[in-house]
Amino acid sequence: MASIARKNLFEDIPRFLVAQAGIMFAVSLVTIQLGILKGFSRSTAIVVDHTTADLWVTSQEMVYFELTSALPADYLTQAEKVSGVDRAEVLLLRSGRWRDANGKLAPVRIFGFNPDGQLFAGWKILQGKIEDLKQPYTVMLDQDSRRSLGLQQLRDQGSIGFLPATVVGFLDDVQSNASSPFLFASLETANAYGTAELSSSITCTRQSNGELNCTNRFQNRPLGQKIGEIQPPARLNLGDPITYILIRAKPGENLDLLKQRLRDALPGTEAYTRKEMAALTRNYWEERTGVGFILGLGATVGFIVGMVVVGQILYSSVADHIREFGTLKAMGASNWVIYRVIIEQALWMSILGYVPSILLCVGLGHWTQAAKGVMILIEPTTAAGVLVLTVVMCVGSALFAVQKVTRVDPAIVFKA
Amino acid sequence: MTAIDFDQIQRPGSLSAATVTPCRESLLQDALTQKAIAACGVSMIYQTGTQAFHALKNVSLTINAGDVQLLMGPSGSGKTTLLSILAGILTPTEGRVCLLGEDITRMSSRQLAEFRLTNLGFVFQGFNLFPALTALENVEVALHLKGIKRQAARRQAMELLEQVDLGNKANNLPRDLSGGQKQRVAIARALAGNPKLIMADEPTAALDSQNGHAVIQLLRDLAKEGGRTVLIVTHDPRIVEVADRVIHLEDGILQS
Repeated sequence: MASIARKNLFEDIPRFLVAQAGIMFAVSLVTIQLGILKGFSRSTAIVVDHTTADLWVTSQEMVYFELTSALPADYLTQAEKVSGVDRAEVLLLRSGRWRDANGKLAPVRIFGFNPDGQLFAGWKILQGKIEDLKQPYTVMLDQDSRRSLGLQQLRDQGSIGFLPATVVGFLDDVQSNASSPFLFASLETANAYGTAELSSSITCTRQSNGELNCTNRFQNRPLGQKIGEIQPPARLNLGDPITYILIRAKPGENLDLLKQRLRDALPGTEAYTRKEMAALTRNYWEERTGVGFILGLGATVGFIVGMVVVGQILYSSVADHIREFGTLKAMGASNWVIYRVIIEQALWMSILGYVPSILLCVGLGHWTQAAKGVMILIEPTTAAGVLVLTVVMCVGSALFAVQKVTRVDPAIVFKA
Repeated sequence: MTAIDFDQIQRPGSLSAATVTPCRESLLQDALTQKAIAACGVSMIYQTGTQAFHALKNVSLTINAGDVQLLMGPSGSGKTTLLSILAGILTPTEGRVCLLGEDITRMSSRQLAEFRLTNLGFVFQGFNLFPALTALENVEVALHLKGIKRQAARRQAMELLEQVDLGNKANNLPRDLSGGQKQRVAIARALAGNPKLIMADEPTAALDSQNGHAVIQLLRDLAKEGGRTVLIVTHDPRIVEVADRVIHLEDGILQS
C-alpha cells in the first residue's frame, strides 16, 4: 500500500521540519545527558581500567579509588610472598599543589609508579616515553589537563611545593572528569612531591638578660637545603606509606582465593579485582555524590519532553487527517489498519529524528572532548538504547494519538 | 451472516411496486432473496441532553439490484442519516436493514466493516481523497484494503482510472485536479474491488453543472455496465433524469 504515513509526514515540509526539530531536541537531550553520565562515569575509573593488574590491594577503609588510607611499604614484600602472586608493584597516590610558570596554583593528584613496571601500564602516549620519567622531577599528564596547569608543550615546567616539575610526556584518555588533574611520575618523584610543602623551624637564643628569643622560620625547601640546591628524590624506604599494591596472579590462579590469601597475609587490607575497583569507584560517583541522579534526571526530563512534543505533533497530525481516517473506516478498514498508519508515522518520525540527533551528539562529544576535556561517551549500547527509547517515545505518543481515531465516527465522512 | 428473524417483525401495510413500502414479513422475504437494499421500520433518534430529535421515523424501502436510485429531500430531512444507516455506518435506533440479503443491523462492528469492505463503494460530497497520495495511490489504497497485492493493485487502479478517463492524471495529487476530476478519482476508488453497492452522498454538490452531469452519467454507466446498485443522496434536481427511481424524504419520513 502506498505509505499514507510517510506521505502524510512529508506532505507539509515546514511542519515536518518543526516536528523533527522537537524530536531532535528531545533525543539530543537524552543522548547528551546519558553520554555525559557515561563519559563521567567512565572517566572516574579510567586509570583503573588502563592498568593490567589482576588485583588491587588497598586499605580496607577505602571509599573509592582516590579516597583511601595508606599502607606500610613493607606490605609489598609480604604480598610478593603470598602463594599465587606472580608479580606485585607499588602505586602511590599523593596530593599536591601545582604552581605554573606564572605562579598560578592548581590542585593535582600525583600517581607514583615504577616506570619499568608492568602492571601500571598500558597508557596511550601521545608524546614522550615512559622511560623519561626516570629522570628526577619529571611528570606526564593527560593532554586535556595542559590548559588547567598552564602548560603547552614538552619540557614546560611548573613546581609542586618547593620542587620543580618538568613535563616529559602527554597521555590520552587518563583524566577523571571528577578529579583534579592527574600527574604521573616515578615512585621517588611522586613520594618527594607528596612531602614537598613548606617546612618550618624554630630557633631560640637566650638573651643576656636571660630572656629566650625564638624565631619561627618557614621556607619552601627542605630544612638545611640551600636556595637553588635541589637534591634528587630519595628512594622509597620501608617507612614510607604507600597507597596500593598491584598484583598479577599466576596463570590459572583463582582470583577469589588469592584475594582471601592476600587479606589474610596483609592485615587491614582489602583486595579487589580490576573490575571491582572500577565499579566501586563509578558507583561512588554515580550514587553517593548524586551526579548519576542529576544526569539521569536530565535524561528522564528529555524523554518526557520528547513524549510530549511527539505526542502533540502526532495528535495534531491525526486531528488534521481525521476525515481521511474516517474515510478509511467507512470503507471498511479495521482500526488496526489505522493504528498501523499512525504507528508507522511515529516510527518514521523516530528514525528521522534519531539519526541526525545521534550524529549531532557524536560531533558535539568530539568537540567537548577536544575543547573542554569533557567526554560525552556515546557507546554503541548507548546509541542503541537511545534508539529504543526514541521508538518507545514516539510509539507511546502515537498510542495517545490513536485514542482520537478510535473514537472517530465514520459518519463524519458524510459531512461536507 | 445473520438471517432476519421474522418472528420479531410485525408491521402492518401492503407491498407495492413503489420503492417506498411498509414493512412486513413478505417484504423482508423478498428483500432477502431479490432486493439489493431493504430497510424495514428504520427510526433514528439523536439524544442531546434531555432533547430527543427524530431524524428518521419508521422508514421502510427496497431498492432493486442494478437500479440507480435517488434519495432526495431538503436539507435536514434525514437523507445523510438514512444513507449512513443503509451503508452500515450508523446503527438505527429501531428497525432492520438488509443489504444483498444480509441483515446488517445484526452484525458486529467488525462484521460490518468487513461487509462494507467487500460490498460497498463510497462517493462523498467532499471527495475525501487522501491529499498526500496521487490519484493512482488513492485508488490503490482501497484495493490494498481489500487484500489485493501491490502489482495487481497498481494495475487495477490504473485500469479504474482509465475507466473514468483519468489515466493521464494518475500521478497527480488531488490538489492538482479539478473538482470534477477529483470526484472521478473518488468514483474510481469506490469501484475498487468491484463492489455490488455504491453509496454516493451529494456527489455533484461541489461541482458545476457540466461536471455534475458528467459525474452522474458516469455513475449511471458504471452501474449499468457492472450490474451495480447505486444509491445517490442529492438535492440536485438536474440529475433526476438519470435515475431509475427517486424517493423523497421529508422530516425523516419517506414520501411515496
